[in-house]
Amino acid sequence: MTDPTTEPDTGAPRGEPVADATTEPAPELETAEPEPTGPSPLGEVAAELFARLEEELGDGIVDRAENHGTLIVRVRPEVWSQVARVARTRLECDYLSFVSGIDWLPAPKESDDGDGDTSSPAQPTEQTVGVTGGDTRFQVFGHVQSTRRHWGVTFKADVSDNAPEVGSWVPVYPGADWHERECWEMYGINFEGHPAMRKLYLPHEFEGNPARKDFPLLARVVKPWPGLVDVEPMPGEADDEAAPTPVGGDA
Amino acid sequence: MSTTNPPEETMPDIEIDPRDLRHLADAQMNVELDTGDMILNLGPQHPATHGTLRVVVRLDGERVISADPVIGYMHRGYEKLTEFRTYPQITTLINRIDWLSSFANEVPFIDGAEKLMGVTAPPRAQYIRTMLTELSRIATFVLFLGEMSLQVGGITPAFFGFRDREHILNLIESATGGRFHPNFNRIGGIKDDLPWGWLSETRSAMQKVLDSCDDFEDLVAGNEIFQARTRSIGIIPGDLGATYGVSGSNLRASGVDWDLRRDGAPYLVYPELDFKVWTHPDGDSYARYMVRLQETRESARMVVQMLDQIPEGPIMAKVPRIIKVPEGEVWVETENPLGQMGYYIVSKGGTGPFRVKIRSASFSNVSILPWLLRGVYVPDVITILASLYFILGDIDR
Amino acid sequence: MGLVDGGALGRGAKKPGLLGTPARGVSWLLNSSRRYSLWMFQWGLACCAIEMGAALASPRYDAMRLGVIPFPASPRQADLVVISGTVTDKMAPAIKRLYDQMPDPKYVISMGSCANCGGPYWDSYSVTKGIDQIIPVDVYVPGCPPRPEALLQAIVMLQERIQLEGVGNDEMQQRFRGEPIVVGGARELAAEAART
Repeated sequence: MTDPTTEPDTGAPRGEPVADATTEPAPELETAEPEPTGPSPLGEVAAELFARLEEELGDGIVDRAENHGTLIVRVRPEVWSQVARVARTRLECDYLSFVSGIDWLPAPKESDDGDGDTSSPAQPTEQTVGVTGGDTRFQVFGHVQSTRRHWGVTFKADVSDNAPEVGSWVPVYPGADWHERECWEMYGINFEGHPAMRKLYLPHEFEGNPARKDFPLLARVVKPWPGLVDVEPMPGEADDEAAPTPVGGDA
Repeated sequence: MSTTNPPEETMPDIEIDPRDLRHLADAQMNVELDTGDMILNLGPQHPATHGTLRVVVRLDGERVISADPVIGYMHRGYEKLTEFRTYPQITTLINRIDWLSSFANEVPFIDGAEKLMGVTAPPRAQYIRTMLTELSRIATFVLFLGEMSLQVGGITPAFFGFRDREHILNLIESATGGRFHPNFNRIGGIKDDLPWGWLSETRSAMQKVLDSCDDFEDLVAGNEIFQARTRSIGIIPGDLGATYGVSGSNLRASGVDWDLRRDGAPYLVYPELDFKVWTHPDGDSYARYMVRLQETRESARMVVQMLDQIPEGPIMAKVPRIIKVPEGEVWVETENPLGQMGYYIVSKGGTGPFRVKIRSASFSNVSILPWLLRGVYVPDVITILASLYFILGDIDR
Repeated sequence: MGLVDGGALGRGAKKPGLLGTPARGVSWLLNSSRRYSLWMFQWGLACCAIEMGAALASPRYDAMRLGVIPFPASPRQADLVVISGTVTDKMAPAIKRLYDQMPDPKYVISMGSCANCGGPYWDSYSVTKGIDQIIPVDVYVPGCPPRPEALLQAIVMLQERIQLEGVGNDEMQQRFRGEPIVVGGARELAAEAART
């Protein structure tokens, strides 16, 4: 059984001489100067990765940042499937970590910040869009890594609110199959070109996309979280309960 | 090197698999005899699937034509539930993702929250965390070493596995109070210091583990029947495994020398330890068994090293009473017993996370099954499933 | 069991319960035999399955000394099923079907908080909050997960109840009207205290 990754560097899609990208070990390369327009300077490895990406994707890249040691690159949704190919060939990221989605709609209000109840999460209510920004409610993001070079990149892309759809990574990373099915089921984001989009986790009669922020947890609606309770009363101790019946049957 | 083929044209599902050719004679015979396909439904409750994995296999005689794992029977909606919990509450929840190595699940999450908050746990706490992580790894693997033998018909080693697991669980229980789900990590450190006598107890337990690893090697790995059932069965090529996201021992058994304890972003005290990353070139079920056997030994040696090196000092850093994590995102990954465990934590500055993407190892390890099971025989399905070693909670979350 | 059904032999307790009147005669013998040859179908679902495995397979706990035989190949051979772990809505129909396949008399132990009530996933969109919504439960074992000792205790308590049961058809049908056993529950603790 052969697989494209066995030949480590088949194909730079734009006819790049492959030797350029692969014969030089990355950390020893002269590091590209941090982009003067960029929001923050990049580390040595991240700058190298970003230089390679920029060469391939050009203005497909919207924004980038280095965040706790990981390069995050936000791309335009049109180039999402091209990103996978570039990542696997030029960035030598042969390992797929995950593909998933995120819904930036503000979280439903669980608890106030100042009411002293620390048992329920308090969330700010304004909409923010994460480290590399975003224009839409939904984003897809994925993380790929290199088992040889030990680096990794996170990619993000905006998808439209009404008909969320991006290209599929399955042709390049076959492992993206289940991840994309999960994302489709949880967020309703479609991946164009996925071989068999169907439910992964939930029974087929389940309706809705449960990971969306506007999907309510019915158990919490029916019976709200009681908040901070130090000690629950013992059975029978509460005022509205009758006195305990003698235990032990007819003994 | 030619660049004529773009990658998408050489993917495995549109090539002719050599394994199909191997069984061409069988197929020819079946055509002559006019045998139909049979659908065999393994699961959702089947002893060989370690829980509630359901594999729908289409059979031609004894040979698997296609296999379709149906997951979700254990789906509890972790990623949604984390959005409704505070950070300390989530630790309780994520213990139960991979329930065999509960402690190891906590570490990356706490690590991520600490990174966002800019807190570092004191060295002694880091040592205790590392020790407990390695103990969970041993507790997970000894069960595998016995269980794998059970799947090929040897029952006795399974009892050995449970016996050795009890040694480790005793240690975890005496240190954390929890036999199974310790819930011991706090943001900024750990809950308690180690009890008196724990270090010497651990030292003798590690000796027992090393001894029983020798037993497993003689009894199971050296067994002719075991080798006949596992060698050259279920081979995962390393490069293909990586594109499927197979990680951990499964990938190392395919010759990929990649261990996040050594190669990832430094975490816990692994940079201070001297350990070997074991690989095996074969990639078959036997290789996965051997790699886990060696890693069990290596973990025991690492724990002994840490017992010698553990420093004195505090176990908690200064953290506010109410944990509030500043706005930001962080990706943390650790080498868990089953493979790469990662959390992508998005915080908005509240007392709970805004979004937690949980990247669990077994999910990706099992996603290779449709490819891996094609063309094997039914009894080998069982050994392959056992050798991949997944935990249903880790698949379904 | 025609003689027993017809009431010609000794009848069992009027009221099934921990401290009911003990069954007499052949009923006593039948109960005693049933009590110590419980074929137990293991329904390992989640974390509790490992603790159940420890209770059954590990040399430290060894459930078989109690007369529990954990080897039925199918639910059709089983007397007792231990539901150990989280039951999801996707899993629930399968549980119902396998329970229906078990021959009477059949007993159910619900092991762990998830099987009892949903446990830590009480607000999840996909978890069934308690298997007693789909099948009747004889013994609840609380804990997350319960220690193997708790499961052994549940088995022993169930055996005591079996010993006290009537074996006629009517009494079998009335069994589920009795109170379920809760391991470590107030009622059981009091009964334990009354006995000693």
